[in-house]
Amino acid sequence: MTPNGAVAFALLVIVGAMIAHDLAGLLIILAATACFALASRRAIWSALAWSAGIVLPLALFMMVVWVGIVGRAPHEIAAGLEGSRSAATMHVAIICLRLFIIAFTVQAAFLHFAGWTPLRFVGALTLPRTAKKLLVLTLSLIDTILQAVDRARTALIGGGLITRQRSWRNLRHGWILVQTVWLTVITIVVGRTRDKWPVEETLARLEGTLAARVPGRLTAPDFGWIALAIAAGVAGLR
Amino acid sequence: MELIAGPNFSGRSAALMAQLRDHAPAFFIGPHAEAALSGLSSTVADEIEIYRAAISGREPFTPLDFATYAERKPATLSGGEQVLLALHCFSLSGYGVIGIDTALEQLDPGNRDRAIAYLSRGATQGISAIVADNRLDQPPGAAIPEPTGPAAEFACNLAAVARPPVCDPAIIKVQGLSFRYGGGRDIFRDASVTLEPGHAYRLTGVNGAGKTTFCKLLAGVLAPDAGTIELRGKPYAPWKEGNHAFAFATQNPDHQWCGATLGEDVARRRSVLERRGIDLPSDASLAALAACLGIRSMDQHLYELPLVARKRLSWLWPLSGVMPWAMLDEPTLGQDRVTREALADAIARLGAAGYGIVLITHDDEFAARIAHRPLKIADGLIA
Repeated sequence: MTPNGAVAFALLVIVGAMIAHDLAGLLIILAATACFALASRRAIWSALAWSAGIVLPLALFMMVVWVGIVGRAPHEIAAGLEGSRSAATMHVAIICLRLFIIAFTVQAAFLHFAGWTPLRFVGALTLPRTAKKLLVLTLSLIDTILQAVDRARTALIGGGLITRQRSWRNLRHGWILVQTVWLTVITIVVGRTRDKWPVEETLARLEGTLAARVPGRLTAPDFGWIALAIAAGVAGLR
Repeated sequence: MELIAGPNFSGRSAALMAQLRDHAPAFFIGPHAEAALSGLSSTVADEIEIYRAAISGREPFTPLDFATYAERKPATLSGGEQVLLALHCFSLSGYGVIGIDTALEQLDPGNRDRAIAYLSRGATQGISAIVADNRLDQPPGAAIPEPTGPAAEFACNLAAVARPPVCDPAIIKVQGLSFRYGGGRDIFRDASVTLEPGHAYRLTGVNGAGKTTFCKLLAGVLAPDAGTIELRGKPYAPWKEGNHAFAFATQNPDHQWCGATLGEDVARRRSVLERRGIDLPSDASLAALAACLGIRSMDQHLYELPLVARKRLSWLWPLSGVMPWAMLDEPTLGQDRVTREALADAIARLGAAGYGIVLITHDDEFAARIAHRPLKIADGLIA
């Protein structure tokens, strides 16, 4: 499978999940995504856990609002019906499953390229040069934020404000961590963009590195997975 | 190799950047990671890939086996390793000019000698190096620029630092310490050491040996995989209970601020530490100490200070005597000779008052001014 094939599959699945009408349709799309993840021959539990972790807060919030407080589904409200909590529960389940499929599909795509570096992955995509550069910059910003979290934790733990392990003290001072992280991100980015990048023309260099990589053509397995994604999407519409 | 000499605030960094702009594009290694590495790569392999030129034709500078680092995130390398990686990238690139702003000070003696030798014979390979470094002697005949405006604004007077209160001695016993970073090699394997108060311990070892990691374990920033720490004969687990034994001045000063301004940093530490029974000096005492370090306003925004001034301010907590141990990671980075000597004397006074000191420095001259016991970190052990 090529990165282009994986991205095409993921995009089709996401579109399918967005337009699927009901739970059954979403479950069909989820099954296709699960097959895709299993085909990577890597452990998928962590991808499932991460996706669930992303959806869980939203699910809890929506359950409280729609099932606990409103007690009716949006379409029932629009139709002026009395409605029921079971319809509201179904509405929450569909929204959350949709989000879960999107998160899981992205993770499943990365499972196929677990041994690849981000630069290699982005370089192998058929995209305009500027889009590739923006993608690398976005990925680097994620790394920068993670680096800032590490630096901020070092500062606050070393200063005795918070502890490495979970504690009430950490909850109490969580906002200081958030503030420190953002100050750190700004410092890191300013440090790079003020001196290093302009004098080295680093971004032009990155563009050259990406341009030197020739994207691979779609292969037979790519077409197979794309066909499955389309089939699952169509089945989801029925 | 061209050396830009001069004391702090004499305009060395500005002169270096001006020369690099004249030669742009030119490779640049700044004093800390955000100005040493590109920041565009998620792995060491990608960092090398970004800089590798199709035809470089020059001898690669390979002080480390970078193949074993390929999957590591560049930001997780030690300060010295990051500088070595940057030099390696330069050697594979097509840049003809490299500017290094005090970054070589982070290298261990062996790697520093290798780097300077590589840069010195650059002319044979079409490389031109411009270096600002506080530990390279002034070349004969070179004009030393005078300090400029900010020198007076941030002038420090370490001799005026008030003697800290006599310390309640705190012996530290580390037993069976083991630690490794996820997916990495063993940094410590069943390492044991006893640190006695009133003494200075200098951690030595090659770049990446685990010197900073040891400090982070003592401060609770990292948790060991196995082993115990005792403080005054009682179990001490700073990663669980919080650090209340080591005043930590990190290698990069920006790794230790707990607020945006000095006043905010002090207030936050005070609110937590005093609740835990640790007495902090009064705000007036801390303001006086900060003034000795060159910062005269508690409202000073920390991130707006020049790096040299930030580094000096990072010594505030160790020198305040707030905790029984002072831990300083490369405290002399970016500091000129006069300041380094004054700092060494201030640290020696701290030791004389009964405080324990853990020191990481590759600066032998600086270390020689402080009576210390060397602790070498190598092969997972501390000896």
